[in-house]
Amino acid sequence: MDAPVRELSFAQAIYEALAIAMEADPRVFLMGEDIGVYGGAFQVTGDLVHRFGAERVRDTPISELGGAGVAVGAAVTGMRPVYEFQFSDFATLAMEQIVNQAAKMRYMLGGEVSVPLVFRMPCGSGTGAAAQHSQSLEAWFAHVPGLKVVEPSTPHDAKGLLLAALEDPDPVLVFEHKLLYKMKGPVPQGHYTIPIGEAATVRQGRHVTVVASAIMVHRALEAAETLAQEGIELEVIDLRSLRPIDSRTIIESVKKTTRLMSVYEGVKTLGIGAEISALIAESEAFGYLDAPIVRLGGAECPIPYNPELEKAAVPQVPDIVEAARALAGGRT
Amino acid sequence: MPVEVILPRVDMDMATGKISRWYVADGETVTKGQVLFEIETDKAAMEVDSPSAGTIRDIAASEGTDIPVGSRVAWIFAEGEAYAPPVEATAAAAAVPADTRPAPAPSQGAPVLPPERSPAPAASVTAGAGNGPAATPLARRLAREHGLELASVPGSGPRGRIQARDVLVRAEALARPAAIQSSAPAVPAPARPAAASAGGGLHREWLQRGEGVPIVLVHGFGASLDGWRSFVTGAAFDCPVLAVDLPGHGRSGPAEAWSLSALAAALEDAVRGEGVASAHFVAHSLGAAVTVTMLDELPVEARSLTLLSPAGLGPEINGAFVDGFLRASKRESLRPWLKLLFADPDEPREAFVAATLRQKADAASVAAQAALAATVFPDGTQAIDIRAVLGRLTAPVKVMFGVDDRIIPARHVQGLPGEIGVHLFSGVGHMPYLERREAVARLVREAVRSGS
Repeated sequence: MDAPVRELSFAQAIYEALAIAMEADPRVFLMGEDIGVYGGAFQVTGDLVHRFGAERVRDTPISELGGAGVAVGAAVTGMRPVYEFQFSDFATLAMEQIVNQAAKMRYMLGGEVSVPLVFRMPCGSGTGAAAQHSQSLEAWFAHVPGLKVVEPSTPHDAKGLLLAALEDPDPVLVFEHKLLYKMKGPVPQGHYTIPIGEAATVRQGRHVTVVASAIMVHRALEAAETLAQEGIELEVIDLRSLRPIDSRTIIESVKKTTRLMSVYEGVKTLGIGAEISALIAESEAFGYLDAPIVRLGGAECPIPYNPELEKAAVPQVPDIVEAARALAGGRT
Repeated sequence: MPVEVILPRVDMDMATGKISRWYVADGETVTKGQVLFEIETDKAAMEVDSPSAGTIRDIAASEGTDIPVGSRVAWIFAEGEAYAPPVEATAAAAAVPADTRPAPAPSQGAPVLPPERSPAPAASVTAGAGNGPAATPLARRLAREHGLELASVPGSGPRGRIQARDVLVRAEALARPAAIQSSAPAVPAPARPAAASAGGGLHREWLQRGEGVPIVLVHGFGASLDGWRSFVTGAAFDCPVLAVDLPGHGRSGPAEAWSLSALAAALEDAVRGEGVASAHFVAHSLGAAVTVTMLDELPVEARSLTLLSPAGLGPEINGAFVDGFLRASKRESLRPWLKLLFADPDEPREAFVAATLRQKADAASVAAQAALAATVFPDGTQAIDIRAVLGRLTAPVKVMFGVDDRIIPARHVQGLPGEIGVHLFSGVGHMPYLERREAVARLVREAVRSGS
């Protein structure tokens, strides 16, 4: 029988995944700045410290390098730590541990060691948090073999992907867009996982394939709704995982629609859209393209503090509508 | 390639804008970054720079008029780039040579709306500019499948880029009979001329022009001359190529009688109607039997003869295919039968099915082909025999079969006169000229050389 489904927020879905994993597996424990009594910068860990104790929900000092290093050490010695960055921007302070240690150990130690840890990475703009607290750096990490990178767009996928990450033998970075934390959606009770590396086609369409992730999935779906009234049908693919990337789903979709657009919040140049464009150009789908590939990415600037400029710096619904309309109409 | 000058969006909620002032005049030389015009919006005035260096042409937005964001307001031609007027301007001043056409003064120019289907000034400009016309990968693929030259397809995309729909529109236009295209909607399409009633009445087309003795292509049962296009495109023949639609096929009307002799007479009429008395014939399946009969009975000379999967060499033929093909009226029922034509399980391509289906939409053609089949292939049997005639021909003859032909068995080649060259292709079905294009083309070129 299917588990009952309730409406939960994205943050509640993550909380639930953490609680399920901690109940099921004594090796799972949480670390991060202010995740204990305070409940986390975005109130995701909530009352977990009261349910599982300060031993398993550990406040760490203001040192991301230290926290990440302890997490790597705990993982290689048999624990399953979850380290929360207050903002994923601060992972820049922990790059040595993430990129040079966590990602490399399995390879450098002949496969005899694995690093089963999860980094939780609140990311994205739109909260007025300015340049150092609003970035979308997921493509950086997706460039590193040895790491897995996922980026859910719904409460359902947030829970399923986090549980999959917790069971994965390798380091997984879960990017959580800050604007999504309050978004509600159906979430089944109990344990389930979403396979890492599988995209989801969240809307079928004939005219343009739009590949998006996180908040951009919702903007693309809204744009699709608008354009449907004009007879333009977008097919929206929610990438869900950046590494490994589900190229097959994108290729098959482009073969059907003949047009490809990617929408992502990270800076446009050298971002996720470049990878998606290249994988299509290299695949059999190339011969099906009936228009140049279009990328809608973030502006080539740090995220501005001014709310209007902040909005203008990343793709919004009207931008997607306009670009997709031009693409479908053969005007790009 | 000339560069478009666009009215930019200078304001987030701006749908239209006004050029308050032009700083340059039509025909003036501009440098990259030079101020071209000033835009005025509700909130601000802003100067717009030139996107490239060259000569500004066809200024199409007058000062003070509201025009939509994204509209093209002028073109910039690089130094040394041939100037051709835009299509819409040429149409208006059709008789005036481009170089003497007066440049429109900025104040007279009408705004140009952002085109759903961009005009093709660049197409005419870029034609011959090196690598052929710009086309999307899908358009190139479809053109190949339809046997269309890209140069013959007008592009509707930005800067004249050829898109898939352009190829499909062009293929559709070519497939439609000329009579129907020109008739007014209220007037019923004139009946097609019966092949025997009008002199040289069969539809035919020069697929390639040139000097020397031509190649004449004759298709098989249920096909049309369109089927040869892709073959000829890649064949590198250095002589003219004529293709004929047999009676009741393609764009030819029905015959009065369906015997091989009657069909041969119609074919001769069409070939002679093009002033051809001597040619290299390449004929497929039933077309091979018709051609051989014509050469035997009528005064047309073959310099060489290439017969592909010819009919008339034995009694067997796949009767289920003939019946099923004739009955099929939709894609789903047609496709399984067309599959039998090819050895490759990935065939037929969608374009092939679609092209065949278009023919089936013509009730007169379907009826004609049924009458033809009843005469030449009654009861699933080939009631025609060209063996005796083949022995009498003096021209060099090649016969080609696919070993895996599921329509006419390849073993029919047994017992042919020793002078006839036999080529058997393994892994090939009934359509060697589509399944082994290059090999068949090479053998035809050899035949042309040996018969010259």
